[in-house]
Amino acid sequence: MKRSGPLFTLLGGLLLALLLLTLNATTGEKTTPAGDQAPPTPNPTASPSPRPSAPPTSEAPTPTPTPTKTQAPDADYAGRTDDDSSAIAVTVRDGKAVAYFCDGRNRESWLKGDVAGDGSMKLTGKNGATLEAAPEGDKLTGTAKVDKKTFAFTADRAKKPSGLYRATQTVRGARLDGGWIVLPNGDQVGILTRDGTREPAPEIDPASGSVTGEDLTARPVTP
Amino acid sequence: MSVDPNAVTQGFPSPPAHGSPHPARYLVPVFAAGLVAVGLGVYGKAHDPAGTSFNLAGFSSTGAVKSWLGTGAFAFAVVQFVTALAMYGRLPGVRSAPWMPGLHRWSGRIAFLLAVPVAVHCLYALGYQTFDTRVMWHSLLGCFFFGAFTAKMLLLRHERLPGWLLPLVGGAVFAGLAVVWVTSALWFFRTFGVTT
Repeated sequence: MKRSGPLFTLLGGLLLALLLLTLNATTGEKTTPAGDQAPPTPNPTASPSPRPSAPPTSEAPTPTPTPTKTQAPDADYAGRTDDDSSAIAVTVRDGKAVAYFCDGRNRESWLKGDVAGDGSMKLTGKNGATLEAAPEGDKLTGTAKVDKKTFAFTADRAKKPSGLYRATQTVRGARLDGGWIVLPNGDQVGILTRDGTREPAPEIDPASGSVTGEDLTARPVTP
Repeated sequence: MSVDPNAVTQGFPSPPAHGSPHPARYLVPVFAAGLVAVGLGVYGKAHDPAGTSFNLAGFSSTGAVKSWLGTGAFAFAVVQFVTALAMYGRLPGVRSAPWMPGLHRWSGRIAFLLAVPVAVHCLYALGYQTFDTRVMWHSLLGCFFFGAFTAKMLLLRHERLPGWLLPLVGGAVFAGLAVVWVTSALWFFRTFGVTT
């Protein structure tokens, strides 16, 4: 007779493991396509819980073990500054971010930079423009400094068609550079720079990228 | 101990009750152990770490949950170690009692079942990592622990093993878990404080 107790122990452990894996696969949002993940021993201080891509579900992962070198998940954000004067859109791809700050009339700035593993970022643009932000739940909050003015902002997760669009082209000798932020409610804020002169941008059709009244095509922006 | 070589053996077609057992009988446990250890390691390495998984209510972080589960497992493993010593008569002044094998079995089961969720989280969310010494040993011995445990369980099913074999494998399992615990839960408590 062979003892079967030990076998049941092993099978019990296996079943428990499978059950937990199933739970993980069904409830745990796959937040980070992390390349270099943390050790099996987690570090709760640098929690990536406010990962933008993890919609807060009730049993959602709160503080999770952390990555020394995780990559922030890809995301798009679009929103307004707290004073409602301007719009900001941020696109995160592969640990890099590009942001566009635009008041729709004459103040604009393109910023870029790296995104830390916890999703926070510090971006820089021309003329000393800076943007510092960190995800909070499904939002991105932070401050942007453009033309020596500081704006606090909160941007929501943006789903297509909202997001960030740009068109750069030389049309009939005129150099055109347009940036558009399509807000989650469908509003558009944009500036078209024609040979160095800024003007409010005409509307675009986010689906096709065609710019009303211009021989120009706007495309989604990636870093 | 005298054995009548001509006694009728029942229920054991082969090998007969004398001499050393055929070494092939160890192949299955050894093979299974290797498969488990390497399989876990390969899964941990190949699988894209999810970075997260569910958390238990009442704990501040998965790290705390895992540290406490691991500490529980290690505590039961100490019970294992002590009862094993007692059963083999190696504990001065303590003799094996009839309840000891039961305690040994059940503390082992509980320790194993406490360790499983921790390992699942490790492998699912973090993966097999080698970026520093502590982490490397933890990953390596974590996989080794489950392999050695599998071997121990499968060996238990055989009778008439050489007397040194179970203590050796059991000792390896215990030592593996001890290092795994030191490189994770103890490190966690020392780094972040004893928190829940």
